[in-house]
Amino acid sequence: MYKALYTKLINLLYNSGSIHVGSCLSCFDILIETLFFQMKKEDRFILSKGHAVPALYVLLNHLKKLPDSDLRNYLKDDTKLTGHPAPNCFSEILGFHSGSLGHGISLSSGIAEAMKYEAMLRKQRKTPKIFCLISDGECNEGQVWEAAQYAGKRNLDNLIVLVDKNGFQAFDKTINVLGDPTKKKRWEAFNFNVVETEGHNRTKIKKAFEKAYSFKNKKPRVIIFNTIKGRGVSFMENKLEWHYKKMTEVEYKKALEEINKNEN
Amino acid sequence: MKTEVTKELEKLAKKDKKLFFLTGDLGFNAFENLQKNLKERFINAGVAEQNMIDVSAGMAKMGLSPWVYSIAPFLILKTTEQIRNNICHPNLAVKLIGNGGGYGYGILGESHHMLEDIAILSSFPNIKIYVPAFSEDVKDIIYKMKTNKNPSYLRLNNVPKTKIKLGLYKPLRQLLKGNKVTVVTLGTLIHNSLDAVYKLNKKEAIDLFSVTEIPITNYLPIINSLRKTKKLLIIEEHTKNGGIGEKILTELMLKKVKVDNTIHLYAKGYVKDSYGCHLFMLEQNNLDTEGILKSLKKLYAS
Repeated sequence: MYKALYTKLINLLYNSGSIHVGSCLSCFDILIETLFFQMKKEDRFILSKGHAVPALYVLLNHLKKLPDSDLRNYLKDDTKLTGHPAPNCFSEILGFHSGSLGHGISLSSGIAEAMKYEAMLRKQRKTPKIFCLISDGECNEGQVWEAAQYAGKRNLDNLIVLVDKNGFQAFDKTINVLGDPTKKKRWEAFNFNVVETEGHNRTKIKKAFEKAYSFKNKKPRVIIFNTIKGRGVSFMENKLEWHYKKMTEVEYKKALEEINKNEN
Repeated sequence: MKTEVTKELEKLAKKDKKLFFLTGDLGFNAFENLQKNLKERFINAGVAEQNMIDVSAGMAKMGLSPWVYSIAPFLILKTTEQIRNNICHPNLAVKLIGNGGGYGYGILGESHHMLEDIAILSSFPNIKIYVPAFSEDVKDIIYKMKTNKNPSYLRLNNVPKTKIKLGLYKPLRQLLKGNKVTVVTLGTLIHNSLDAVYKLNKKEAIDLFSVTEIPITNYLPIINSLRKTKKLLIIEEHTKNGGIGEKILTELMLKKVKVDNTIHLYAKGYVKDSYGCHLFMLEQNNLDTEGILKSLKKLYAS
């Protein structure tokens, strides 16, 4: 399944002439685990790093929540699928704009509040969860920390923030821009339970989720996934340019070949 | 008007269990009762307005009914992207309440004034703007906001108690009937406008309209009045760009309504770079009773 999904992603990115290839590859394993294995029917997901939306489209299509016809129309004129999620197309799945960074945890906190309140009114034993995927560069945004203060103080223990820490942002390595904006200690200071793990090892990803659920306190949870931008395609790995470049035919064929040789 | 708003919300909250109230750490000496009554549904979201707006969007997406309060510029300017992307574009029923429209906060300074909110918000889709003119309007407006399935913004100002007898609430209300000059006033400036008309002592000469909702959905009463008077005075505590003046004048042009003389009184900003109380700021912009009277006299005599 994984190889098929990766192939589908590479095909979509190439056929549509999409950019943000590296950003999709850094979070694809996290997305697969979240959408396919962690989310229950009543849970919700917000993609705050909206530039990785092709990866989400591919998975939603695989889950039969996004028709093939729409996926084929990605990035074409008269499409519902833009380069960052649009709020009014498939709004039950996507729901909000993202692309302007920093909004996701706040939106998710509102959703988490509503889930907790409804669960209390209905006397449900279990409260649904909201998962929110952000990037490390995104943590430059002040609103991320406004939201972290809020979620931490409000005891939103059904909020699971997933950080795709690939070490790059739009114009440089994250460390060179404003330093590491998503350190474990920083999240702890904002009253989060923190788990840190490798973001491309399926077993470790799964365990990180289990660890995140296992905390017995009321704090929100964050999992910092250490990832590789462009992961799985040697000439893309840790290369800033793959935030912007479109694949040529030669690069596309090479990428497909490498993806299919990878163990994952 | 804050008192009237809180009273209405307290009543609503008793019936509507989906109602949540979020404040950006403001409301001292005003929201204590509301806080007591709403319990866990009252959230002090801190001095973090961008987060507060997006939290409310998330709540509304899940079917809750969030009301969000702050001083108007903190609520609208710091958060413009949040309001556009996450409330107006997805068309969510978040209810924004901004206190201190125009120069309402007077001597507290420019940072607390809100002269551009209508221009900004009326360029966004789906949102309805409410600018009550009389404290009596608040009850009807709060009810409308409650039932509105789209986003709403309530622009609040303090007002004196009115002596005139008000009929039923309407988004465009005609308060005086006359045949010489058409006067259209936004929100609470209706009080200065009324005083100016009384001072002119030609009550039978003035068609006086009070606008309390934007977009204005029915221009017909204004158009019919102008076909008779041909003279127009527009009064608003908002910048020239994007306020009701521009909207009305555009509509008149599209409908080919001929007007001989027009005066638009609006918030010019900080004319002399000197500051004062709310009334002082209105005087500087000819939006006080005397300033309005001068324009009325000019139009009446033309």
